[in-house]
Amino acid sequence: MIDFDLPFWLSCAKFALVFIPLCLIPICIFLERKGASLMQDRYGPNRANIPLLGGFRFFGFVQNLPDGIKLFTKENFIPRGAHTFWYLLAPMIPLAVALLTPSVIPWFGPMVVEGARGLTSVSGQILDADAGVLVLFALSGLSVYGVVLGAWASNSKYALLGGMRASAQMISYEVSMGLSAAGIFLVVGSFSLTQIVEWQAAHTWGIVVQPVGFVLFLTSLFAETGRAPFDMSEGESEIVAGYFVEYSAIRFGLYYMGEYAHIAIAGALVSTLFLGGYQIPFMDTEAVRANLGLVSGAIVAAIALTALGIAWMVRRWARIYARLSAKDAADRKREYGVLNILFTLAGIGMLAVAVALVVLVQPAKIAVAGIDVWPLWVNLGTAVVQVGTLLVKILAICWVFVWVRWTLPRFRYDQVMALGWKIMLNVALVNLLVTAVVAKLVKG
Amino acid sequence: MARTVSRPEMTLAEKAYVPEIVKGLKVTMGHFLKGLFTPETLPVQSYPEVASVIPRDYRSKHRLMKRPNGEPRCVACMMCSTACPANCITIKAGESADGRIEKKPAKFEIDLLVCVFCGLCAEACPVDAIRMDTRVVALAADQRRKFKVGLKDLMDWDPKDYPESDTQSQKAPGGLLNAEARKQWGIS
Repeated sequence: MIDFDLPFWLSCAKFALVFIPLCLIPICIFLERKGASLMQDRYGPNRANIPLLGGFRFFGFVQNLPDGIKLFTKENFIPRGAHTFWYLLAPMIPLAVALLTPSVIPWFGPMVVEGARGLTSVSGQILDADAGVLVLFALSGLSVYGVVLGAWASNSKYALLGGMRASAQMISYEVSMGLSAAGIFLVVGSFSLTQIVEWQAAHTWGIVVQPVGFVLFLTSLFAETGRAPFDMSEGESEIVAGYFVEYSAIRFGLYYMGEYAHIAIAGALVSTLFLGGYQIPFMDTEAVRANLGLVSGAIVAAIALTALGIAWMVRRWARIYARLSAKDAADRKREYGVLNILFTLAGIGMLAVAVALVVLVQPAKIAVAGIDVWPLWVNLGTAVVQVGTLLVKILAICWVFVWVRWTLPRFRYDQVMALGWKIMLNVALVNLLVTAVVAKLVKG
Repeated sequence: MARTVSRPEMTLAEKAYVPEIVKGLKVTMGHFLKGLFTPETLPVQSYPEVASVIPRDYRSKHRLMKRPNGEPRCVACMMCSTACPANCITIKAGESADGRIEKKPAKFEIDLLVCVFCGLCAEACPVDAIRMDTRVVALAADQRRKFKVGLKDLMDWDPKDYPESDTQSQKAPGGLLNAEARKQWGIS
């Protein structure tokens, strides 16, 4: 019989956090489609539905389902002359990287719990390394291997051109990305992501002390994820589809999902370095624990208001009935009616839960071996609140990715290189120099 | 003398790029919010549930006009297939039973996959036998050969669907005058 060691099992449970980027993929795709369509003055996907659920369409969210089925059931085509082993291996790399990177991102503040060997601190990272952020950069840079390897193994010149562009772009922007993030390391004085977040909680967000670094870092991330305006590696008009031109079915789907997982990871990275990570604005971990009832109540109330807002939006979208055929309008009327009631009830219910949380949750420290610590439920509740906070920030950054993609026209290839080497690298270096001088003067 | 094209110099704000990006982001966000909160104002149509109205003179799938006795009005003169830039019309002439008319099409086939819908066949026809006013634009089939439409398909139309455009056709050679034709066709 093994002794029940709480910190050990908590560390095991943290591995579930690895799947957060995977869960964000369908949400990112939905955001992308709806964002793109509404910015272009159209409705976007709104036909796919689930017949068993009364033909509900959920405003196009269901579209992910047939897309997934299609990608899984199509033929896995391997072109003649392709290097089969590498060809099959390459698409797995971006998604594998996307599964590995969350392990170094701090999802919640470190908690002190009682275990078999006395009080132990459990970190919010799965891998709490001092060089955490370096691991993150290394993994993030690895995903280009999937692109280049797949491009080379496809035995197609268009794919190869796309892969070469991707690698050149990666090299150019990795430099300014590292240099722009170096400013925040200088300010904080640590490579540990948890410490960076704790520093931001104690002082101010990284975006305030490093505004130039933030813009540079975000731009580098656009380039690193290979999205417009930096989608050199998949220029439709020049090189067909770029590196995945020979891929079909779920192997193409792996690249596709890898891209969106990469966006989610990028969002987590930006939030952690510059937007306070898992911290709620103006509250550090200790303050959240002390006022857990109030904080969780406020958050549930915010969610409730969001649900009521969605119900209001559903009623607003009922105005498009007039444009539909009679049968379609009747179907939508039924769906919107049910959604309206559901979201309204959920909103009201959650408002009640919020009030109950504020009234009932009164955390108090308990003494363990002479030291005052928070009880486990307070720690876990805080962890849930903080993971949720980080998720909100990630989704906001994902939205910025979508927004920028559908706003800016593509760069020409030489413009990408010129921007990377002649402008961003220099600005990043100057930013780093100024930060170093100021940090030396302030910190001594 | 060669014409000199002068490109306007970019201002400093434009060269800095970021202010221009912010402007662009404002535009797209404006469109997004407008679409999100007033979806009824978006210039979209719920096709295919609500089909768009196609004007009668829109060049769509062809039809062959008929004589009151149901025979094709076509006299197999090959003008349309000669005019056709895509070479998609195949006509085989046969002998007409009507003594006043020399020929009739034994076979009249249009390959709709090859057709470029230019309307030159309808322009070329001396007897107004071929028209492109069916307003059928969504052509779909599961086999290529089904896009080769023959006499039967081209003449399978209902006069009731063309109430306003049949006047002239009944005055065409070989046809009857309008009122008489309508009586015979039972559309009074």
